[in-house]
Amino acid sequence: MAGFSGDETAPFFGFLGAAAALIFSCMGAAYGTAKSGVGVASMGVMRPELVMKSIVPVVMAGVLGIYGLIIAVIISTGINPKAKSYYLFDGYAHLSSGLSCGLAGLSAGMAIGIVGDAGVRANAQQPKLFVGMILILIFAEALAFAQSRRFMDCELYQTLGHGNGRDLSCSFVL
Amino acid sequence: MSSSAIIAAHSSSWAAALVRISPYTFSAIGIAVSIGVSVLGAAWGIYITGSSLIGAAIKAPRITSKNLISVIFCEAVAIYGVIVAIILQTKLESVPKASIYEPESLRAGYAIFASGLIVGFANLVCGLCVGIIGSSCALSDAQNSSLFVKILVIEIFGSALGLFGVIVGIIMSAQATWPSKF
Repeated sequence: MAGFSGDETAPFFGFLGAAAALIFSCMGAAYGTAKSGVGVASMGVMRPELVMKSIVPVVMAGVLGIYGLIIAVIISTGINPKAKSYYLFDGYAHLSSGLSCGLAGLSAGMAIGIVGDAGVRANAQQPKLFVGMILILIFAEALAFAQSRRFMDCELYQTLGHGNGRDLSCSFVL
Repeated sequence: MSSSAIIAAHSSSWAAALVRISPYTFSAIGIAVSIGVSVLGAAWGIYITGSSLIGAAIKAPRITSKNLISVIFCEAVAIYGVIVAIILQTKLESVPKASIYEPESLRAGYAIFASGLIVGFANLVCGLCVGIIGSSCALSDAQNSSLFVKILVIEIFGSALGLFGVIVGIIMSAQATWPSKF
């Protein structure tokens, strides 16, 4: 056991945090993509020229999956009990970070899906609504973006050595 | 072995239960979930796409051969699950009986478990997403054949989600290092 410092079962919670970050973000991305994709396909039957413009909600939903991927990789490469001691505190912190980022991604994906579906159908009938739809989608995307940005700043703060791993103001985000 | 008892005694109640479960249990469940749930996602997507495709082709038989691409995208999700399950099971090593409950082998078990979970559930939602979009693709293609390629672009965005799961699963499985046999 030379070189292993920290609690034995802490990696369980850490890895589950990484898993939660990716799984829930992918659920949100899938919901957003599918729901707005169905709207685009239905609308495109009547107005095929608007389809390429209406792919915006699909792209925004796909980006949520990328947020989840980045967070999951950051968490799972941070679990290294041989290099840096990994206590239950760190395990629980990673679990909460992963859950918060993942569930934020899930909710943002659901919002983007429903708004995208309604927006592209309305845009086909009233072209002036395009900008309004984009604004609402940006607000929905900001839910996930703000959460993952906060997490990434927090991790950088810890790894650069300014925190000692027990900085409560960092790990538990509201 | 006494030092692992000391660590466990100072940890939480979760730890007291978790240290008694063999890491091979977690590994086996992870491998099973990675292939089983991936195949579930692929099957779900295929039946959603296939039933819409067959129904739409009654009035527009020209769409059948082109729209089989949607079915192939769903199938790819199952193949990702198989590949990762094979990779994970090559990460399993047998350790001597005395070191099964060592912290390093516990961590390896948890890594394989989480990796399998990630791949399985990411492929499940990816298969569902691609299936739903594939069904809309078939239905809109039947009405207006210029739409096929455009809706296919949306399907490609959807199938990227399965790839994200595979990437993270493989990165995480690199953490599954078992203690050496000595």
